[in-house]
Amino acid sequence: MFLKLATQSLLNRRGSVLLTVVAMTVGIFVLLGVEQIRHQAKDSFANTVSGVDLIVGARTGSLNLLLYSVFRIGAPTNNISWQSYQEIAGSPNVAWAIPISLGDSHKGYRVVGTTGEFFEHFSYGRQRKLGFTSGKPFASMFDVVLGAEVAAKLGYGIGDSLVLAHGLASTSFSLHEDSPFTVSGVLAPTGTPVDQTLHVRLAGIEAIHAGWPQGGTARRETGKADELAERDPESITAAMLGLESRMATFQVQRAINNYPKEPLLAILPGVALSELWQMMGLLEDTLRLISVLVLAAAVAGLSAMLLASIRERGNEIQLLRVIGAPPAFLFLLIQLEALLISTISMVLGAALLALCTANVADFIAYRFGLQLTPFTLSQSTLYMLVFVVLLTVIAAAIPSLHAYRNAKLSARH
Amino acid sequence: MAIELRDVRFAYAEAPDKPVLDIPHWSVPRGEQVFLHGPSGTGKSTLLNVISGLLPATQGEVLVMGQALNALSTRQRDRFRANHIGYVFQQFNLIPYLDAVDNVQLASHFSNQRQSAPSREEITGLLSTLKLTAADWEMPTGRLSIGQQQRVAIARALINQPELLIADEPTSSLDQVNRDNFMAVLLSMAEQSGITLLFVSHDMSLSGFFKRVDAMTELGAREAAH
Repeated sequence: MFLKLATQSLLNRRGSVLLTVVAMTVGIFVLLGVEQIRHQAKDSFANTVSGVDLIVGARTGSLNLLLYSVFRIGAPTNNISWQSYQEIAGSPNVAWAIPISLGDSHKGYRVVGTTGEFFEHFSYGRQRKLGFTSGKPFASMFDVVLGAEVAAKLGYGIGDSLVLAHGLASTSFSLHEDSPFTVSGVLAPTGTPVDQTLHVRLAGIEAIHAGWPQGGTARRETGKADELAERDPESITAAMLGLESRMATFQVQRAINNYPKEPLLAILPGVALSELWQMMGLLEDTLRLISVLVLAAAVAGLSAMLLASIRERGNEIQLLRVIGAPPAFLFLLIQLEALLISTISMVLGAALLALCTANVADFIAYRFGLQLTPFTLSQSTLYMLVFVVLLTVIAAAIPSLHAYRNAKLSARH
Repeated sequence: MAIELRDVRFAYAEAPDKPVLDIPHWSVPRGEQVFLHGPSGTGKSTLLNVISGLLPATQGEVLVMGQALNALSTRQRDRFRANHIGYVFQQFNLIPYLDAVDNVQLASHFSNQRQSAPSREEITGLLSTLKLTAADWEMPTGRLSIGQQQRVAIARALINQPELLIADEPTSSLDQVNRDNFMAVLLSMAEQSGITLLFVSHDMSLSGFFKRVDAMTELGAREAAH
């Protein structure tokens, strides 16, 4: 009877109740959505690189090294010599090494010079290896393997040829026009910066720069690239290392940091990633604050709606009192109405989020490189919902107390 | 005695010096049907609120069915009212968004007078007796005519088998035909169940339905006639 009275009462005021439900649903949707994105951005972020034990570069800040080697953000301060790389890669604790050479771009997408080891050892997420949607790793000097986004956005397929630009600007005036590259493979989407990268062989990078004055942008003077013999580069930008045993990580790191022949820096990607994420903490908190405020506004609306309803339900309250309802019944009735509204809103908000994440996941992965998994009820979501319930109870206490007091004072005139 | 007032005074907190009620002694025996009349502003509604326990008397003793209301807590008075007193008002007798059956059931919800909740058959039987057809049972009472609503109100007031039925201007919103209908039904049902009826109105033309007629203005001045 109690529940029936509350539901019928809400149905009777379905106009204002519906609007309140809409506001609450939006509030809960934003709250859960932000939490979901925050959580997954963090995961996705931490999943950008895995299986790599150390990243080695010229001595700089560890965040800087991480940003340019993994996220392709910013510019390296210096290179490391091929000799040092060879020595480190050859040391007994190192199982594999991936050299990385940056500096060229194609229509705003960065080009990475590397070796076949990259496709073999680089992994992201939970130790997931790179996969090919089509084609195969580069074989010849002028083969290029495209990240998923590059291929999709620029409309390249296997066998297409493209020209790299010197430097990183999206419109570069110094193109390596005389040495076009042929697409040999397209990688599967990863939701990491790999999607936005073109991968070529180190030798290819060397070849197109042969004859270019160091650091200059002047036209090359001699020779045709494809006539050049394959040769080792003089230097690379950074290297990723896999170790024989994790136990050796710090030992190898120390050895590299104290490398006598040139100043080098080795970082643990996991540690640097979490440092970077901490810097984003403020943004995270801001997002959270905004979502809580949106919800608070919705709950305040709920409270106002119920308070207004109490005013117009004076006769009803009086009647309930006359037939023997104690004031506490009125208090609980209003609380129940509030909880019904917030429960409906929670279900709708969660359903809406589930629907959205299921439908726009591909778009978000493609557009923002963020892998969204469909919405599920996690423990933190449950805490959020408990928080919503508490907030509702607190906000509904105002109209409920009002009803209680009305009931206590009620005497028909 | 169904109702007995002894030296009852009542004043609202805002005006403690101006008692709305000042009744030395007034009583109604069980089973009697009393018509209490008086112009508005003479404290009729206040008196009814005091008798039903919604307002505690400032002073004096109020006994309903032999129970001194002053001796009960607020909670106990609420329960006592649900168990022993039925109420019919001029209007707003029903929760407008519930249907007739639910309205009647709601009244029984707060009472522990009965062993079990009234069955649907019992309620619809009562509604039929009050000349409400099946079509009227399940529509929100807000959509019924005033005459129909007042008859549902009688059913709601009687479902807990109260000993005392208080009717506060129940016919004021009704036209002549509906009024006579209503009075006939109310009085016959009260008589059948032996319920004490306290009927309050400013409309003297109704006094013909009653054997005992009291004037509100005289309550304060004299001992009750009986």
